Amino acid sequence: MLRLRGLVPGVALGLLLIDLVGMIVLSAVRPQFLSDYNLFVTGRDLSILLLVALAQMIVLSLGQMNLSIGSIGGLVAIIESGLMVRFGVPVPVALVAGLLLGIACGVVNGLLVYWTKINSFVLTLGTSYVFAGINLGITHATPFYHIPNEVSSFGQARFGPIPFMAAVTIVLTLLLAGFLYQVVLGRQLLAVGGNSVAARLSGLPIRRATLTAHAISGFLAAVAGTMLMAQLGQGQPTIGATWVLPSFAGPIIGGAALSGGSAPVLGTVLAMVLISLIDDGLVLVSADPFWVEFLIGALILGAVVLGRTRLGDVRVFLRISTARPVGSIR
Amino acid sequence: MASTGTVRLSQSFVSVSASRLTGGALLRQVALLALLFVTAGFWIYFSVAASGFTSDFNLFSLLRFAAIQITIGFAQMVALSIGDLNLAVGAIGGATGMIAGWAMQVLGLPPLVAVVFALAAGMLLGFGNGLLITWTRINSFIVTLATASLITGAMLIVTHADPFSRLPDSFTSFSETEVASLPVSNLVLVMLAVGVALFFLYRNLSLGREMLAVGANRRAARMSGLSVDRVVLLTHGISGALAATAGLMAISADHTASPSLGSDWLLASFVAPAIGGTLLSGGLVSVPGTILGGVLLATISNGLLLVGIDNFWITVFLGVVLLLAVVLDRVTRAAGGAVP
Repeated sequence: MLRLRGLVPGVALGLLLIDLVGMIVLSAVRPQFLSDYNLFVTGRDLSILLLVALAQMIVLSLGQMNLSIGSIGGLVAIIESGLMVRFGVPVPVALVAGLLLGIACGVVNGLLVYWTKINSFVLTLGTSYVFAGINLGITHATPFYHIPNEVSSFGQARFGPIPFMAAVTIVLTLLLAGFLYQVVLGRQLLAVGGNSVAARLSGLPIRRATLTAHAISGFLAAVAGTMLMAQLGQGQPTIGATWVLPSFAGPIIGGAALSGGSAPVLGTVLAMVLISLIDDGLVLVSADPFWVEFLIGALILGAVVLGRTRLGDVRVFLRISTARPVGSIR
Repeated sequence: MASTGTVRLSQSFVSVSASRLTGGALLRQVALLALLFVTAGFWIYFSVAASGFTSDFNLFSLLRFAAIQITIGFAQMVALSIGDLNLAVGAIGGATGMIAGWAMQVLGLPPLVAVVFALAAGMLLGFGNGLLITWTRINSFIVTLATASLITGAMLIVTHADPFSRLPDSFTSFSETEVASLPVSNLVLVMLAVGVALFFLYRNLSLGREMLAVGANRRAARMSGLSVDRVVLLTHGISGALAATAGLMAISADHTASPSLGSDWLLASFVAPAIGGTLLSGGLVSVPGTILGGVLLATISNGLLLVGIDNFWITVFLGVVLLLAVVLDRVTRAAGGAVP
C-alpha cells in the first residue's frame, strides 16, 4: 500500500503536469528545443544532475545531509583522470578505483555521523572542505587534460537525441528505487529516517543503515563526477563545485522532508527534469544565465510552501512535533 | 535541523538552563582557556618558524582578516543561538557590499550614508528570511538555502556581475588606518564594538535571553509564553545586519565591491563559532569564543602560507579544524554530563 502511494504521490503528479506544460511551451516558442542536439545536451546535463540529486535524497531519507557530494564528485574525477593521464593506468582500473574512492568518502561521512552523533550538516561541511582541498592540493587547480579517448567519446556518444549516459542514470535510478521500496535494508533505512528512536527500540540496524545511505551517496556522487569528466574530456578540478544547490533542489522540490523518512525517487526525477527545462529554456531564449540560480531558489521556496499548504493547516499547526510515521513516503 | 539520535526531552525550560549553568560553566571556561593556549601556541610557533609573521605589515593584515572572519562568524552565531541556520550570510554580505559599492560609485552618496543604506538592506533581507521562516514554518535550512540563491541570483542579474572598483578614498582608507600607530586596523575596532554589543545583548538584554531560550527549547519557550515568532524575526534581522557589516568591512579592505564577495564564507561562518563553543543546536553562544576562533582561523591561514604551505592544503586544514572542534566539543560535553 505504501509502495503504491509512493509511486503516484500528489507532488509527482503536479510536477509531471508542470514538466509536460513546460515542454509543450518550450517546443512551441523555440522549435529548436526538439532538435536532436538540444535534447542530447539537455539530457546529458540531466543525467548527471539527477545522480547528484539522488545522492542527496538517499541521505535526506535518513534525516541527514551530505554537503560533500560536489567535492566527492570533483575528487573522484581528479583521481581517475590523474591515474589515467599521469600514470597510464588502464581505464577500467582507474574508473573502479575512482568509484571505490567515492564509496570510501561516503563511508567516512557515515562513520563520522554515526560515531559522533553530531549534526551531519556541519560534519559533511567539514569533510567537503577536506575533499575539495585534497583535490586542489593535488591539481593546483590545473585540469588533467587529454583523458583516454574511450572515456571522452562516451561523453559525446548518443543514439539519436538520447545520450549514452542516460542509460547509466536510468539503471542506477531504477536500482535505487528497487532498493528503497523492495529490499529489507532499504525499508529499514526509511524507518530509521522516519523515527530513529523507534527504530533503535525496535532493534533495527541503525549503523548499517547510516553507512549504507552515505556509501550510496558517495557512489552516486562518484558516478556523476566520472560522467562530467567524460563529458568535458578532462579532469577539471572545479567539477562538483556548483552541485550544492541542485542536490537539495531536486529532492526538496520532489517532496522529500528534511526530517527524514521519505524518499521520493519519482518526485526527484521530475523535479530535476523541471530544472533542466528551465536551464535549457533560458539558454534557448538567450537569457542572462544568472536567472538559473534565482529561479531555482524561487522554485524551492514555492514548492515547499505549496507542499505545506496542500497538506492543510492542521499539519502546519502540529509541526511542533517533528515525528513522522515510520516509512511514510510523500 | 534533524540530527538522528537526539531527543528533545520534555524537561521544563528552567531545568535545562540550570543544568547548563552548573554543569557546563566551568567546562566552558576551561575550553575557552584551552583555545587561548592553542592560539597562543600557534602565534609562538609561527613567530619562530615563519619569517615575517611578526612584521607590522603581516600582523596588520592578519588582524584585519580575522576581524572580517569573526564578523562573518557573528552573523552565523546569532542565527545558531536560536537553533536556526543562516546559509544566506554570504549572499547577504555580498549583495549588501554590492549595494554599498553602487551607492558610492554610481549614486555618489557619502560613505556614511551608503553604509547605513547597506546595513538597512542587510537587516531587511534578514527580516525576509525571518518572515519566511515564521510564516511558512519551513526549516531555516531550506528557507535560507533558497533565499541565498534568490539574493545572489538577483544581485548578479542586476549588476551583470560587474564589480564596483572605484570606491571613495575616504571609505577604503578606513580599513587601512592604524589605530594609535599599532598594527591594528580600524576594522578590528568595528569587530570589537560588534562583539561588545552582542555580549551585552546575550548577557543583559531580555531579547538575548529570549533568543537563548528559544534556541535551548523552542517548544518550552513557546509554552512559557514567549513570542517565538518575534524572536525568530528579530534574530534573522540582526544576522542580516551583521552579514552586511562583514560585507562592508570586506569591500573596504578589498578596495572593490566584487560580485563574488561572500561566495566562500560558508565554512568561515561556521568555523569561528564552532571552535569557540557555540552550540550548533542552539541555546548557547560564546562571543569571546567566536573571537578567539576567528583569530585562530586567521592565524593558521596566514601562518601556513608564510611557512610555504600551499594555499590549497590550508583548505584541508581548516576543514579538519572544523571537524576536530565539533568532535572535541561533543566529547567534553559528554564528559561534563551537560545536555548535548
